[in-house]
Amino acid sequence: MDLLTIGIIIIVLILVIAVLIFFSYYNKIIRLENRIDNSWAQIDVQLKRRADLIPNLMESVKGYMKHEKEVLENVTKARSAIMNAKTPQENIDADNMLTGALKSLFAVAEGYPDLKANQNFLNLQDELTHTEDKIAYSRQHYNDSVLSFNNTIETFPGIIFAKRMNKKEKEMLQIPEASRELPKVKF
Amino acid sequence: MTKQLLLEDHIKKNKRATIFVCTFMALLFIGIVFAFGLIFTGNPYIGLFFGLPIALVYIAITYSFSVQTVISASKARPANPNIREEKLLIYKVEEMAIAAGLPTPKVYVQDSNNINAFATGKKPEDAIICATTGALQKLKPDELEGVIGHEMSHIKNHDILIATVTIAVVGAIALISEIIFWSVFWGGAGRSRGKNDNGAILIAIAILFAILAPIFSRLTYFAISRRREYLADSNGAYLTRNPEGLAKALERIKNDMPQGKPKGSKTVAPLYIANPFKRQTLNSIWSTHPPIDERIKRLRSM
Repeated sequence: MDLLTIGIIIIVLILVIAVLIFFSYYNKIIRLENRIDNSWAQIDVQLKRRADLIPNLMESVKGYMKHEKEVLENVTKARSAIMNAKTPQENIDADNMLTGALKSLFAVAEGYPDLKANQNFLNLQDELTHTEDKIAYSRQHYNDSVLSFNNTIETFPGIIFAKRMNKKEKEMLQIPEASRELPKVKF
Repeated sequence: MTKQLLLEDHIKKNKRATIFVCTFMALLFIGIVFAFGLIFTGNPYIGLFFGLPIALVYIAITYSFSVQTVISASKARPANPNIREEKLLIYKVEEMAIAAGLPTPKVYVQDSNNINAFATGKKPEDAIICATTGALQKLKPDELEGVIGHEMSHIKNHDILIATVTIAVVGAIALISEIIFWSVFWGGAGRSRGKNDNGAILIAIAILFAILAPIFSRLTYFAISRRREYLADSNGAYLTRNPEGLAKALERIKNDMPQGKPKGSKTVAPLYIANPFKRQTLNSIWSTHPPIDERIKRLRSM
């Protein structure tokens, strides 16, 4: 083997490796981007699910909470805000509203022993809390996905491919810090 | 933000350590296959050509059978959504699956007063998470969440694969070592090979290696298992964003004296959140789980 053949083999090898790296990074960026879309869809599903549970909840508390008009109205208002939300941020604001309204409702419910003993109400309460947690975790996963996407396209060598693929940094969702605060309820 | 960075450091550190010990395990394995070839034929590469495929098949078979037996060995049953405690467990598993971005595993319950939980399944798509009734009754919601986050991380990190494959590798090393030991004992192998001093020394080294390899492979297996526990702890804390939940759960497990005889076989012990067969308080190289106090300390430092 003369030097020329060795040189050609080395060049071909380098080219093959370069192409492989290009494909793996291209796929990685696309995959991470799809993961973000997918986790957004997940949040949406949970938000709808929660909104769908509200009418049942209203039905089950109606008979007990005749004097808590304001609390009930707030829940209904928040629910229709979710149904009418168009942008992601609107969606999230409406959902925060609903979280607050539900918190007040469940706090008020503590004062109604009959309601507390109602199996149907208890099940709904469990399920609503569960959906709320799911929403929180899908937002967290959304942000985790955005973080790994951003990290990939902003560091070397991903940054080279991201420029060519015209990919830009994505924004994280603003998650309310105060969601663990106790609701203010007037009895 | 700094908290998150610390967590990520924990995760990175444990990943590097796992790669290190797994490489050591692979070297032990290749070493014993080499020794096998050297002792029986005088040529180490022959062992590589014949021994390696046979050992790989052995590992594959062990792997495909071991996972199936875990559930039956632990006498677990599917969780019943009509019982509130078990329904809340199903809910928690669903939530943690969302946080991890994984498909929801099947949820099982094991009737036992002890607080424990384990995960199994060959790949994330058909994973199973099982908790004891004791865990459901004694753990507070945030503590249970920590435990489920830990198990979900085992699934996400493919720890079930790592655990069963390393068990199989340890078995394969023990088997080859046994063959070498007995054939040397009966004086069959190596006699005609030692034509010169160099060859004899090589054979002697190979035999010594065959004796030591099973011990070292066991120690490596325990080291891997402990690494994976730490990793699952920090990954689980990353999922729940609440290391304190898991720390409190571990504290409760520590103070909760084991009651009755644990069900299941000892081979599945590394899959549990805490070793069901003994309470680990001392730092020992012979244990599948790190000492519980050290785990709590590390969680609280995140």
